[in-house]
Amino acid sequence: MADVTSHDRLLDEITGPTPGQMLRKRVFGHQGLLIGLVVLLLLTLVAIFAPWLAPHDPYAQSLMTRMEPPVFMGGSWDHPLGTDHLGRDYLSRLIYGARVSLLIGAVAALISGVIGTAMGVAAGYFGGKVDTVVTFLINVRLAMPVVLVALAVVAILGGSLEVVIVVLGLLLWDRFAVVMRASTMQVRRREYVAAAQVIGASTPRILLSEIMPNIANNLIVVVTLEMAHAILLEAALSFLGLGVQPPTPSWGLMVSEGKNMMLFEPWLVLIPGAVLFVLVLAINLMGDGLRDVTAPENRS
Amino acid sequence: MKLTVLKMSVAGIALAAATGAAWADKANDTLRLAFTKELENVDSYFNSSREGVVLQRAVWDGLIYRDPVTNEYKGNLATAWEWIDDTTIEFKLREGVKFHDGSDFTADDVVFTVNYVADEANGVKTQRNVNWMKSAEKVDDYTVRIMLKEKFPAAIEFLSGPVSIYPSDYYAEAGPEGMGLKPVGTGPYKVVDVTPGQHFVLEKYEGYHDSPKGQPTIGKVDIRTIPDVNTQIAELFSGTLDMIWQVPSDQSEKLEQMGQFTVANESTMRVGYLAMDAAGRSGEGPFTDVRVRQAVNHAINREELVEALLKGKSQVISTPCFPSQFGCDVDAAVSYDYDPEKAKALLAEAGYPDGFTTDFYAYRDREYAEAISSYLNAVGIQTNFKMLQYSALRELNMKGETPISFQTWGSYSVNDASAMVSQFFKHGSLDDARDDETLGYLDIADSSTDPEVRKENYAKAIERITEEAYWAPMFSYNTNYVYTNEVAYTPTADEVLRFTTMTWN
Repeated sequence: MADVTSHDRLLDEITGPTPGQMLRKRVFGHQGLLIGLVVLLLLTLVAIFAPWLAPHDPYAQSLMTRMEPPVFMGGSWDHPLGTDHLGRDYLSRLIYGARVSLLIGAVAALISGVIGTAMGVAAGYFGGKVDTVVTFLINVRLAMPVVLVALAVVAILGGSLEVVIVVLGLLLWDRFAVVMRASTMQVRRREYVAAAQVIGASTPRILLSEIMPNIANNLIVVVTLEMAHAILLEAALSFLGLGVQPPTPSWGLMVSEGKNMMLFEPWLVLIPGAVLFVLVLAINLMGDGLRDVTAPENRS
Repeated sequence: MKLTVLKMSVAGIALAAATGAAWADKANDTLRLAFTKELENVDSYFNSSREGVVLQRAVWDGLIYRDPVTNEYKGNLATAWEWIDDTTIEFKLREGVKFHDGSDFTADDVVFTVNYVADEANGVKTQRNVNWMKSAEKVDDYTVRIMLKEKFPAAIEFLSGPVSIYPSDYYAEAGPEGMGLKPVGTGPYKVVDVTPGQHFVLEKYEGYHDSPKGQPTIGKVDIRTIPDVNTQIAELFSGTLDMIWQVPSDQSEKLEQMGQFTVANESTMRVGYLAMDAAGRSGEGPFTDVRVRQAVNHAINREELVEALLKGKSQVISTPCFPSQFGCDVDAAVSYDYDPEKAKALLAEAGYPDGFTTDFYAYRDREYAEAISSYLNAVGIQTNFKMLQYSALRELNMKGETPISFQTWGSYSVNDASAMVSQFFKHGSLDDARDDETLGYLDIADSSTDPEVRKENYAKAIERITEEAYWAPMFSYNTNYVYTNEVAYTPTADEVLRFTTMTWN
């Protein structure tokens, strides 16, 4: 028996846990990542299954039952989170609002991610004139205040879900470009890149299978940051009346619509505000966590 | 969340600044009041907002005054008047009246003011208020005649409202711009400070003549521009404002429950309506079909809007004018009851069984606008909701680019149907109906001196307009006035704050 245990121990020492096991261990050992993932997953499910989860039609107006308080402030279970200024069920609007926020966050981050990563990687890998041009573009972009430009464009084109997504997607690529450029510059001097070049790998192949996997962890962090950024910007634009237009439920719009009654019915602002806060926090926690568990220095 | 915090800190800073700035109250004989909107120009001929009317009535006088309670016309700067013929009125002027700058009020001032504002080239903002006058001529120092372009029976009403008399020498020199910054009139209050974007300070005019407006008692009125209602309420709580008005009904209810403030509600002449592009100025849209316009009328639950949103002394309106106005015959109007099924049927009949999508414009009362668009959505008219500034929407409107818009009109508190129906249905730039039949009736009604003929033709016009459903009239507004218990005031039904009738308790 003693022989067997020592043998097993020996075997463990020789083989060690597989990379998959180690990753799993790191993931489950990271509280922030877990919390972020769970919250985000929940909200995503809520957004996807909104029609089944919402107790009422989020657009159904009932002026006779306006601004009923949520259940924890003496309201009824018929409207667990109360009703808004037009008598629409607050919970249902909140649930449908998750769709707007997540959709805008995801698509805007995707658009800007593609633009920014392409520019950043190209600049970092090729250097020279390409780098000069990209750096110039980044500087131009950084010189423009995002909120002002978004406000102006949306004011000209009119606010709608599509316009907001495209505008934010076309504006938020700067951080992708900056981070990807810097990361690529570091990675391209590595021996394995040189090795790939020596054995005659094509440039696209080097970029995709040598560079990208090694800068992916930075990319993930930027994606989450920008997703959170886009969600907050949408809320800000909608709050100012230039984002998603009523009656579409959007959390920013809900804050804006509730603000007139802020002194007397603070929950009208607090509920959507709190949900927005939780979503952005979850995304950031997840981003931080993913960076921690995927960073190359943590792999060994 | 972030926004809430930001907002609250902004309010906090505003509050702190306000507290530091002007601490005055009953002890200092200063009434502190808030305006929500910024005035384009204090000169009353060059702004078109309610706040402007309030200042106009305080700083200037008209020849005639209409008692807001009895609706009786009384002499103000004139003591007597007489129609010489259908287009000439002769006025005997009050003697011994002085302007705030010390100059005497004489026939010259009337002649100058009338000739100046009646000239379209001088660009008075609301032409309807003045374009019925041709000119004025002096008979002697205290007798003057005003000549009308054509018969205009509402002349006395307009002369007791928007037409106020300016000092000739001063106005000739200062012009609208100078007048806007340093207003001079004969009114019960003189302006001592105009700081655009911040505040106006009015001071009791000691030499005020024996006017039907009454003598001012409160020494100073400090009016600040505070666009946000929550900030206004916060300042009322902290004691840096004594009075706020145009407070939304929800907030007023809550303030009333607190018991610390007086909340008074009065109806106003302002009517809220949907204007539709019946003439197809924005292209051959669905609203050129009368059935679509009728469907819109049937889609809106006016009773519910009044009962649940506007509250107070608001009423359901089915006329393109305010019922108290002369000639606004409620019985002549076709009224449309709330019937979404009928609305859908009418839309289907007009060739839109699945409804259609349209741009929907509004400039104020976002909440009402949302509720209205929600009614339209419910019958299948999908709306691209567009909230604009008043001036921007007015411009689009004039260019005929708004298929449907939520509009309101306060008639400058002129108690005559011509101030509203004739403003919008006489083929002007804001007329989306461009109906010749309506124009015919209105031409007769506006120019006849026989009250019966006028009534009959306004009634016909109203019938025609509502039958064709050019508009969807919806409701009249009310205004909530909230003031501390130190202030005594009884608001009138015409949405004009009268400082002369305010006193300290």
